[in-house]
Amino acid sequence: MKRHKDYQYAGYLYILPWIIGFLSLQLIPLINSFAYSFTNLQLLGTRRFIGLENYAKLFKDPLFWQSMKVTFLYVLMAVPCKVGFALLIAIILNQNLKGINLFRTLYYLPSILGGSVAISVLWRYLFMDNGILNNILSFLHLPTHSWLGDPRLALPTIGLVTVWQFGSSMLIFLAGLKQIPTVLYEAAELDGSGKLRTFWSITLPSLSPIVLFNLIMQMINAFQEFTPAFVITQGGPLNSTYLYGLLLYNQGFKFFKMGYASALSWILFAIILAFTGLTFFSSQSWVHYGDNV
Amino acid sequence: MKKACLFALLALTAAGTLFAQGGKESSSSSAAATTAKPVTLRVSWWGGDSRHTPTLKAFDLYHEKNPNVTVSGEYQGWDGYYQKIVTQLAGGTAPDIMQIDQPWLFELCSQGDVFADLSKEDLSQFDAKFLQSMCSYDGKVMGLPTGTNANTFLVDVELLKKSGIDPNTKWTWENIVTEGKKVHEANPDCYFEAGTPDHIRFWFELYMAQLAGCVVKSDKTLAFNRDQAIQAFKYFKSWWDNGVSAPLSKTSLFYQKFDDDPDWVTGKVAAAWTWVSALGKNIGSRQNMETRQFPVMAGAVNTGVLVRPSQIFVVNNNSKNKAEALKLLNFLFYDQEAIKILGTARGIPSTTIGRELLAKEGKIDKLSEVGTNEGVAQGGDAQSIWQMNSQVIQVMQDVIDQFGYGKLTAEQAADTLIANLNATLAAL
Repeated sequence: MKRHKDYQYAGYLYILPWIIGFLSLQLIPLINSFAYSFTNLQLLGTRRFIGLENYAKLFKDPLFWQSMKVTFLYVLMAVPCKVGFALLIAIILNQNLKGINLFRTLYYLPSILGGSVAISVLWRYLFMDNGILNNILSFLHLPTHSWLGDPRLALPTIGLVTVWQFGSSMLIFLAGLKQIPTVLYEAAELDGSGKLRTFWSITLPSLSPIVLFNLIMQMINAFQEFTPAFVITQGGPLNSTYLYGLLLYNQGFKFFKMGYASALSWILFAIILAFTGLTFFSSQSWVHYGDNV
Repeated sequence: MKKACLFALLALTAAGTLFAQGGKESSSSSAAATTAKPVTLRVSWWGGDSRHTPTLKAFDLYHEKNPNVTVSGEYQGWDGYYQKIVTQLAGGTAPDIMQIDQPWLFELCSQGDVFADLSKEDLSQFDAKFLQSMCSYDGKVMGLPTGTNANTFLVDVELLKKSGIDPNTKWTWENIVTEGKKVHEANPDCYFEAGTPDHIRFWFELYMAQLAGCVVKSDKTLAFNRDQAIQAFKYFKSWWDNGVSAPLSKTSLFYQKFDDDPDWVTGKVAAAWTWVSALGKNIGSRQNMETRQFPVMAGAVNTGVLVRPSQIFVVNNNSKNKAEALKLLNFLFYDQEAIKILGTARGIPSTTIGRELLAKEGKIDKLSEVGTNEGVAQGGDAQSIWQMNSQVIQVMQDVIDQFGYGKLTAEQAADTLIANLNATLAAL
């Protein structure tokens, strides 16, 4: 009995650093921000309880709707592209070719760099008016374009940053592909199934749990995207890249309306929760788990 | 046994924390009494290398003279500096001394007693009027101006000549268009003015100041009417129509950092509105740059040319080392060697001793001197705190962006500007 108790205490001690970190850096701030969202807290000023005023105000804020529109467009563009691209590359890299490990590493490389500021700065130089891309285009006598200055093109251009970093999704797909029993492929081959048919009827259904996982993880990330919009375009031109994360940051740290920003962040939380739930719900009809293949 | 060990470990950790805290307490509280105890002062500022290097050198000298004091600089570029300072102030981790921009002083002071009151210090070296109008809040001096800063119009004499423009042209609003367009005509890659969205806004505010006195008056109302706004928007449309500045789609990426634009760096842009204190950073490796005075329209109410402290040094009211912080400020402002090291890294010094000493030593670079003198000579009224408010600036910027991208006509832009400014001001 005594020994059992000792064991438990030691365990808590080991995870103590994590618990302290979780409480002080996540849980308490989380609860605080929820409380703040019902106040008019200014970063340096006093705060007063104002009930649902922040929430009422944000639905009347044109910038809120603009950033909503931009964020949904971004999620709709970036997530399917990224997941699709990751799957495509994973399938290619799943072949038994010589030196394939090198390519696997190379394709993973962009993901190591992460959603960093350096990548965003690089993107500016790639896509700005006299940037690398336009220089290559004009060298080839192709028409150049103001990629980041055109309100219609700026969002897809910064969306490329995240699509380019498909490495981690790709790796998970690759692991999933390795898990598909070869028996299934052999059976398909015996039945005379073509490559495309095999992909559609065997590979994709077998991978569907992994597709679901990648889709949800990428969706959650995409809704919270901030760095490229902040560093590359600052939301411009004409607020065409004014992602929700940027709106949140600007309200909180540019105009110091912490109460309002807290309300915004809880709305975002609700949206992400709803869409994750929806995706899970829809998965019943398209995700196949191993036991019922 | 195990339990005892664990308890001992926990107790030790707790004790360690306590002692660490105790140590900190005692060092800071006694620092004021006896200066021999080691003190670390944190000082933050924004700027470029032309400011970082001399400032750090001055700190080294201070450490040499006061071995117990270590000054650690927390420096960066302009981007995100204000956000960092406000977050630090809110979180109680702000440095002992901070360099802030003059327009922030009101915004920050109105939130509480964030800065130490410096009224009791010896301020005889500073211009009393300047301190009172630019560095005070509620009648108390809250910060010390690092230098005198003024708007200036930076031009590339060679590029003007190459484009067939007399480099000594006295600029008017009309000849900026009629002469300025020659730069783009001579070389389609080149433009007259940097023309980033924020630059267009500065010029717009300048134009409005001359036309109507200002944009937002100190009583929180608009100074201009619809017709005046339309006139201003139409005028700036002529810049884009004539290639005086590049279209916003080309410049928007360099919002608030026109000197990052490769076109500017490689000398394809002839002129720019700027501050004297930023000249070093703006010019970089460019050659043949000179300053000019701004155009002033006939019968202008106010030139709109801004003269204000380059920056303001404030002392954190929550600093545990206020006395030491003040000593360091004294050193930076009054010590002869420090003045010489710092030179014009923050504009022409605002202290009499600083100006005299640097002039005697020939340490004031010609460009800053001429720029400041021209700016002060042209200086107009200070902007109201409302016009400098970050949300008001955002409203002006948004309308100018939409107008520049051709989403609004001059009339629509004027209406939107008036409506949005009124709505924002009402909510402040």
